[in-house]
Amino acid sequence: MAYKLLEGIRILDLTLVYAGPMGTRLLADMGAEIIKIEAPQRPDMFTRMMSYPENNPTQEKVWDQGGYFHILNAGKKGVSLDLANEKGREIFKKLVAVSDAVMENFSPRVMEGWGLGYEELKKIKPDIIMVSMSGLGHYGPMRDTIMYMTGMENMSGLTYITGLPERPPLFSNYAYGDWMLGATGAFALLLALYNKKKTGKGQYIDVAGREAISCHIGEVIMDYTLNGRVKERNGNKDASMAPHGCYKCKGVDEWVNIAIQNEDEWNRFCEIMGNPSWTKKFSTVEERLKNQDELDRLIDEWTSQYDHHEVMERLQKASIPAGSVLSLKEVYLNPQFIARGIFEMIDHGENIGKRPVIKQMPARFSGMKSFTPKRAPRFAEDNEHVFCSLLGMSKEEVKTLEEQKVLGRTPKFPPGRPLRKDLIESQAGKGAGYFDPDYLAELRKVFGEDVGK
Amino acid sequence: MGEALSGVKVLDFTDEIAGSYCTKLLADFGAEVIKIEALNGSDLRSKRPFLKDEIHPEKSGAFFYLNTNKKSITLNLKNPKGVEICKKLVKNSDVLVEDFAPGAMDKLGCSYEALKGLNDRLIMTSITWFGQDGPYKDYRATNLIAEGLSGAMFTARQTRWPKDMPSVLGGHQAEYRSGLVASTAIIASLLSRAMTDKGTWIDLSILECVASTLAGIAADYSYMGFSRTTVPWGIHGFPTQENHPCKDGWINNLPGIGAVPDIADLIEKPELKEDPLFSKPGARLAEPEKFEALFIPYFKEHKKWEVMKKAQKMRLAFSPTLSPGELLEDEQLKAREAFNKVEHPVLGEVTYFGAPAKLSETPGKKGRSPLLGEHNDVVYKSMGYTEQELTILKEQRII
Repeated sequence: MAYKLLEGIRILDLTLVYAGPMGTRLLADMGAEIIKIEAPQRPDMFTRMMSYPENNPTQEKVWDQGGYFHILNAGKKGVSLDLANEKGREIFKKLVAVSDAVMENFSPRVMEGWGLGYEELKKIKPDIIMVSMSGLGHYGPMRDTIMYMTGMENMSGLTYITGLPERPPLFSNYAYGDWMLGATGAFALLLALYNKKKTGKGQYIDVAGREAISCHIGEVIMDYTLNGRVKERNGNKDASMAPHGCYKCKGVDEWVNIAIQNEDEWNRFCEIMGNPSWTKKFSTVEERLKNQDELDRLIDEWTSQYDHHEVMERLQKASIPAGSVLSLKEVYLNPQFIARGIFEMIDHGENIGKRPVIKQMPARFSGMKSFTPKRAPRFAEDNEHVFCSLLGMSKEEVKTLEEQKVLGRTPKFPPGRPLRKDLIESQAGKGAGYFDPDYLAELRKVFGEDVGK
Repeated sequence: MGEALSGVKVLDFTDEIAGSYCTKLLADFGAEVIKIEALNGSDLRSKRPFLKDEIHPEKSGAFFYLNTNKKSITLNLKNPKGVEICKKLVKNSDVLVEDFAPGAMDKLGCSYEALKGLNDRLIMTSITWFGQDGPYKDYRATNLIAEGLSGAMFTARQTRWPKDMPSVLGGHQAEYRSGLVASTAIIASLLSRAMTDKGTWIDLSILECVASTLAGIAADYSYMGFSRTTVPWGIHGFPTQENHPCKDGWINNLPGIGAVPDIADLIEKPELKEDPLFSKPGARLAEPEKFEALFIPYFKEHKKWEVMKKAQKMRLAFSPTLSPGELLEDEQLKAREAFNKVEHPVLGEVTYFGAPAKLSETPGKKGRSPLLGEHNDVVYKSMGYTEQELTILKEQRII
């Protein structure tokens, strides 16, 4: 369930790709009205072509089929509008006049180049809130640095402290940096909305993704500013807990995390392993910290006899922190996620059907009005509603503008191509993941017979 | 300039990173946050790093960073009189944040239902590893356990070595990001309350916060049955999301769409542009080692900033790997005044990373963390307790 906390708040969403759309999805999950604006000439291309249903795009309206787009844009309205066109900018300004906020993640010069910088928008609506999201921020000597997610993570300090010591510094590899930028943008916008409620004033917000990430290694940076010490990447080891790591289990690529916090937990763990004689050597935390590699090897020998869930359950029964390392498939099928409902079933219509869509605001709010978010909009789906009902334009006007490509219902888009499974399965001679041919059947067991229908 | 959350009163019962980071964000942006600590101090006061590695309740850098701009009072919740005082505080607060195990507040007589009876506008926030219900509700966890069970850690492997042991993101990312989500949920609830005058109980699971960050990538499985172990090169046509060695560290050489041939110019070997390894994605994906052998020698002869700046001039999205210490020297962060510098009575001058976003009208506060019980007098006297009563409460080990 999503909750109507932000009912009546209207946000113009110019964001593209991953970080920005994720941030506005978070706001949509709390009931804000998000109007997503895309130019027919420059649609939100990347996510629209990621993860076609059954990896089999049909060529008709292929741009409406991408799974990434569906998740990142659920609950939003979608209109087409070309801001590179003067008429398009005029219409945009009319929208600004009836909205609370504008969120964008273009590179720093773009909005000003169009005459749509904060100072201009303020003239149209004095209390407007504008949020700009970028890699290194909209001011400063390096503001024009070209950045994707890798750059934000790499320059935040996080990558430096992540990964195995014998390998290069490691990225999140699931767009954590993008999530950080989007979520921080949403957080900052809410602060500004609250301030506006009190004072009647709007403001400009500049979010730099790498700064948002640096905030999340606050205590690691403190070790440097207090003691001059630079933390080095060290796999899954901890400075005060041992064992603390990820251990190999019986199945293919199955792992379990174990974190022993004190002597009681260590003793209980030894008991579960049957008190093998080697454990005597590691009876104090000092000894365990000193000989971690050997300790980890010995624990690996024990865990690799069992299924990862079995290790977790046995340890948890003895109140020891342990948890399987879940693959994405296992996340969808996990009993805790199912019981708590982190996925919403959303119907995406023809050829796609119902799919479980992961929430972006996972919290529950008791007593608040709840709702199921609408599926992500089809391209230009809400043109009539927004331009006619909201702005009072006539249907003929909209039609003419559509013909002039100021609006437009057909985005510029390449033919739909399936993902090259062969490349993924052969990556580095080992493969970059697993394809489960029975995934629809697996999902149907949990989410009902109509998944994909 | 003002403070976005001025006038908002928050009671902070948290003892771990997620909850304390949540209330830190609220305090940094102007809320009055009162941290309620056990008589011997919050557990966070025993968390590394310590100034000069000296274990001392006022010398923890982690406690400092996670508690800037808060007030601290001591209160013994194991004593019924302590609970009574706690309830008095609740009557006069907007937000309560706690991170006890599910059911613990209930045992104190402070369930949401009970507190709602005292203050129906209260926004109570309960942060737990797994949520208030479900089969894992009483399971134990740490940052590492939450990362693994969320599905996020499974992908944390090098693109070239996708069968490695997964390694958790550095620091405490599961906990920090849950703090960010919690504070976002609280501000949204404050906005809602301004319209409806109704409070709420926010039930937030760290595990779910981490899983939600899979976001778009979650479609890999529900649309194609795919579970990634790392980033698939096949999507980008280039071995992305890797760092390569250079003279003084590491550099990521992600070029941007269609720009791989430009790397040949960067390394001053324009003749390589025609080489299939540069011109044809299929060729370099089949032989990544052969491909990287063409540019790594150049990287190894140059420094990371040098390569990065040259690449950026050519509009290539290269980035250096910066250590936490190097952030202090970063010219962009300096220009943006990203770090705050404050005086602390025990730590002396402290430099810490400032706000996660730049807000033009409400930029936030640049304060320090409180000493243990520093605000006992101010807070308890404002509740009407006299000097004499406070002395008695102290003697009875209630405050």
